[in-house]
This record gives sequence, C-alpha cells and structure tokens, in this order.
Amino acid sequence: MTSDLATGAPTPSPLGQVPEAALLPIPRDKRRLGLGRLYLRRFLRNRLAVVGVAIFLLLVLFSAFGDVFTGYSYSDADFAALTQPPSSAHWFGTNQGGNDIYASAVHGLQRSLAIALSVSVLTLVLAAVIGSGAAYFGGRVEKATLAVIHFLLIVPSFLILALVSHRLAGDWRVLIVVLTAFGWMSTARVIWSVSTSLRERDYVTAAEFMGVRPLRIIVRHIIPNLGSLLIVNLTLGVVATVLSETALSFLGFGVQTPDVSLGTMLADGAGTVTSAPWLFAFPAGLVVLLTVSMTFIGDGLRDALDPTSVTGAAGGRR
Amino acid sequence: MLRHVTRKAAGWLLMIAVATNATYFLASWFLDPRSNYQGLRPVRSEAQIDVALAPYNLDPRVPLVDRWWDWLTSVVLRFDWGKSPTGVSVNGEIGYRSLVSAELVVLATVLSVVVGVALGVHTASRQYGWADRVSQAVSIVVFNIPTSVAALAVVFVAIWLNQHAGLHFLYVAGENSPDVHGLLPTIGDRLLHLILPTLTLTLMGYVGYHLTQRSLLLDTINADFVRTAQATGLTRAQAIRRHALRTALIPTATSVAFSVPAIFTGAIITETIFGWNGMGRYFVQTISKNDVHGTVATAAFAAALTAIGAILADIATVFLDPRVRVS
Repeated sequence: MTSDLATGAPTPSPLGQVPEAALLPIPRDKRRLGLGRLYLRRFLRNRLAVVGVAIFLLLVLFSAFGDVFTGYSYSDADFAALTQPPSSAHWFGTNQGGNDIYASAVHGLQRSLAIALSVSVLTLVLAAVIGSGAAYFGGRVEKATLAVIHFLLIVPSFLILALVSHRLAGDWRVLIVVLTAFGWMSTARVIWSVSTSLRERDYVTAAEFMGVRPLRIIVRHIIPNLGSLLIVNLTLGVVATVLSETALSFLGFGVQTPDVSLGTMLADGAGTVTSAPWLFAFPAGLVVLLTVSMTFIGDGLRDALDPTSVTGAAGGRR
Repeated sequence: MLRHVTRKAAGWLLMIAVATNATYFLASWFLDPRSNYQGLRPVRSEAQIDVALAPYNLDPRVPLVDRWWDWLTSVVLRFDWGKSPTGVSVNGEIGYRSLVSAELVVLATVLSVVVGVALGVHTASRQYGWADRVSQAVSIVVFNIPTSVAALAVVFVAIWLNQHAGLHFLYVAGENSPDVHGLLPTIGDRLLHLILPTLTLTLMGYVGYHLTQRSLLLDTINADFVRTAQATGLTRAQAIRRHALRTALIPTATSVAFSVPAIFTGAIITETIFGWNGMGRYFVQTISKNDVHGTVATAAFAAALTAIGAILADIATVFLDPRVRVS
C-alpha cells in the first residue's frame, strides 16, 4: 500500500516471482515431506527470516506482557521525575510530563501492532476482492477499476489521509478504517496483474461452464490460487502500515493524546534529541525492529513458498 | 515527440484539476473553519462566527456548491487561492513557501535517482561482491526506517559533529539565517541549510531506485544482445552502459513520477523537523487550523509536482525507448 509513500521511491515489487507451480496441489506421498513441512523447512533455511520471527515474537510478547514488570501505566504521571534519564525506577526514563517511557513503549507498541496487523489484513482482503474481481470481469469493470486505482495512486494520498484522519481520529479504530480506505491500491494492482493470467485457466473456464456464479469463482477459485502472493504481501503491508501510522501520528493526525503510539512517542522526543535522547531512541528502536523483522519474515516466506527461488529449490528435493 | 508529450501533459493537467477539486470538497467536509473562532473571548455566537467567515467564502450557511463555484472562478480567472479563516491571503503564503519546497523536493529527487541508479548499476555488474552485499544490507535496513526516525537521527549526528568535530556549518533549523545580505552570501547560506534536509530525503529516496535498478539490470545484463554487443568489440562496461542499462532504465524513468508524492510526503516530515517554512509544514499548519483554502492549495502544489515529474519521465522515456519514438 503506502510503502512507497513513506519511503520516497518505488517499492521493489514481489511481482514476477509468483510461484504458479507451487500453487498446484502436490500429491501427498507418505515417504515424501508434506507440503507444510516442506515450506517450514525452506523457511528455516533462511537464517535472517528465523531471526525476523524471533524478533517479531519477542516484540509481541513485550507488547502483551511487558507491563507486568512495571508498576507504572502509560497514563500515570510521576511529577517527582520529569524528563529523567533511564534509572532503576523508570527503566527507559520519563518524558516532560513524567510519563514512564517503558510503560508508554509497551502501550505504544501494542497500539502500533494492533493498527498495523488489522490494516494489513483488511487492505489485503479489499485488494484481493477488487483486484481479482477487476481481472475476472474484464471489460468496462476492469477499465473503471484500474482508472480509480491509478488516480488514487497519483493523487497525494497522504494529504487526503491526513485531512480525513485529522477530523475523525484520536480514536485508533477510526484510523484503521481510514488507513485501509487509502491503502489498498498498489496491492490491488499487483493482484490484478497476476489474476489476469488465472482468469484464462482451465479450472476457471470449467467452473464457468458448470454455471458457478462469478462471486463464487472469485472467492473459491481465483483468490486461493493467489495464496503465496497474498501471504508475502501481508508482511509487506505490515511494514507499510507501520511507516504511515508513524508518519501520521508524528504530525499529530493519527493517534492523538492521551492515547500513545510509537509515532506519538517519536513526536514527543523530536524536540529533545540531544538533551533527552532516550525519549526518541526507545520508540525509534522498536519501530525499526518491527519493520526490519517483518521484511526478513516476508523475504523468508517468499523463498519458502516460491519453488523458482534459488534457496528454496536447492533444498526442496531429497 | 512534441505531440506525444503535449497529449500526456494535457492528461496531467486534467488530473490536477480533478484532484484539486476533489480535495476542495473533502477539505470542506472534514475541516471546520469555525473552530478558529470558538476559542475566542468574549464568546461569539454561531451566527456571529458565520458572519465573520462570510467575507472569506467560508460561510457554512452558503451551499457548498456555491462556495465551490466562487472559489473555482477566482482561482481560474485571477489565480487567487482564497483566504484562511482568519483572513490571511493564501497566495501570499504559498509564493515563497512553494519555492522553498520545490528547491528541496527537486534536489532530493534528482540526487535520489542519480545515487540510486548509480549504486544499482555498480552493484548489479558486480553481483555478490562485497560492495553488493554491504549496500544491499544497508538499503534493506534504510528501506524500513520511518522518515521521522531518519531525520531525527540525522539531526542527532549533525549536532554531535558540530559539538565534537568543530564543524559549524551543519544547520538543523530553518531554511536560511536571518542576518545574511548580498547575493553570494545568501546563496551560500541557503546551500548550507539545504544539506541536512536534502540528505534525509535522499536517504529515504535512493533505496527504492537502488533495489529496483539492481534487479532490473540483473534481468538484462545476461541478455543475448548484451553478449552480441561485447562480441562486436565493446568492453563489458561499455556494453552494460550502452545496451543493458538503456533497456533497464525505462521502468525506472516511469517510476520517478510515482515517487514524487512519496518525496513530498517525506518533505512534510522533514520540513517539520528541520523547521523549514515550506509547503509541507504549511500543509500541517493549515490542517491543524482548519484552513480549507490553504489545504487545497497545498494539494494542488503536490499534484503539480507529480505532474511535472511525470512529464519529465515521459520525455525521458521518449529518449530511451525507440518504440515510443516510432509511434
């Protein structure tokens, strides 16, 4: 979605590596590895991907259970300790208002994770339906959908995002809706271009002759065959969402006080980079760990699910 | 060629018009100019606020379509982008700011393309060499860093350098110093202020070009026509530069257009952090102040930047791609 939006350049697209052959069911043979085991084995062979999973799991655990280890809540203000560096009482220090940075980081990571995961799932569903629908129906529907996609891609969507979320936000659930509404286009375009070849497959034609309804064909026959592309895009979507959520919250248009996300924490620390670097260092570290781990996972998934990829093919056969 | 470019430019002009008008309606729906008067003391009634907004074409009692038509005619006929809810002329604000932002965005775009493509070509022709591996690792990490984090890190390093290495030409705030006079000192001063924001934006922008250009060139570098070119007596470097790169540059040229909105988004954050009075910061301020006309003007500026990028990309494609020249 907005990955190119936040970074300033075209995203290296996963397109072109679509593992068509991997999507065909492999006959189960007792002496051979099951498909799931095969994928797992290929995934584990990619060391960076394993590191990514480890980091990601640690982050999830930190966001879920991190507050067990501190007596403070993100909304508590300790007026005896304003802008204090990390100490035994406040592990990550405190900010100008006396909020404990450790507790804020736990809560902020929770918010950012919740937003990122739900937005990337929702955009993926929306993009899959729209992209494959456009490809399946073809003709005018396809042209109109593509025109809308291209228009939204060119329009400075971040500006519209900021405009809309400024009025509606403060509430992180609304932010999820807004980010989804403006984030599905580039994924939909990728899915469309892959689906155009699926449309011509025999099983789709066969289903048509048997009188299966279009919606059912899309849901039962086209979307499942995009499986690996969708899974890889899910991880990229998480990265993109984290980046745009951080940007919006940083400018004050996303999550807003009194709620806390990693973006608002970065904004908090922006003015005191040298005098109180801990305010910005901890949320920055968490954001980067989150996005980098997701990228590694995505890379590993691509290798695992794609039979044409070099690392996967080498070890796939016994 | 001229016809091709003119036709494309007309299409982009239409796109700017549609996008700007759509933004006008969105901004009118989602921004509430009355909030500028609601905090004032003595407290004003709703009717008084509406009266105060009326001269600026922001009166909520007038139907939206009428306000839109007034706004559109004044933009088209007099190039007057309207007034803020407190009566400040938008034209007066955007004149200087758009120059400041254009300076930043154009320079960062050009540098990103040059650095990214050069790095992509260098690493692709030496695939799996140490330079390739190191730059690949760096680019993947940089690709995942939010602009705000990168900008703050640049500020941190610059202040550290200023304090410890005795450098005093790295400015972290503003686009110029107040007490500089004369042509040459002014230019020098502005260039020094440009260093850090441009560095940040370039850092954010080059990554995409590096990664895509590398994989694009790898696709063509072993093609038959490159080997044939080498067989005619060209060195490998010449064959790559004149034949492989030429094909591989076409998708990059088109993607420049799509990356301008992203660079502008980066500029919004960079200008906020570095305290530049450019369009990006203006956009943040106008939205916070519920300034409908200012917001729309910024959107139009961003759309215009995108269109300029796209037209330049089209021209580059014409030069690179013989298939376009023929048709």
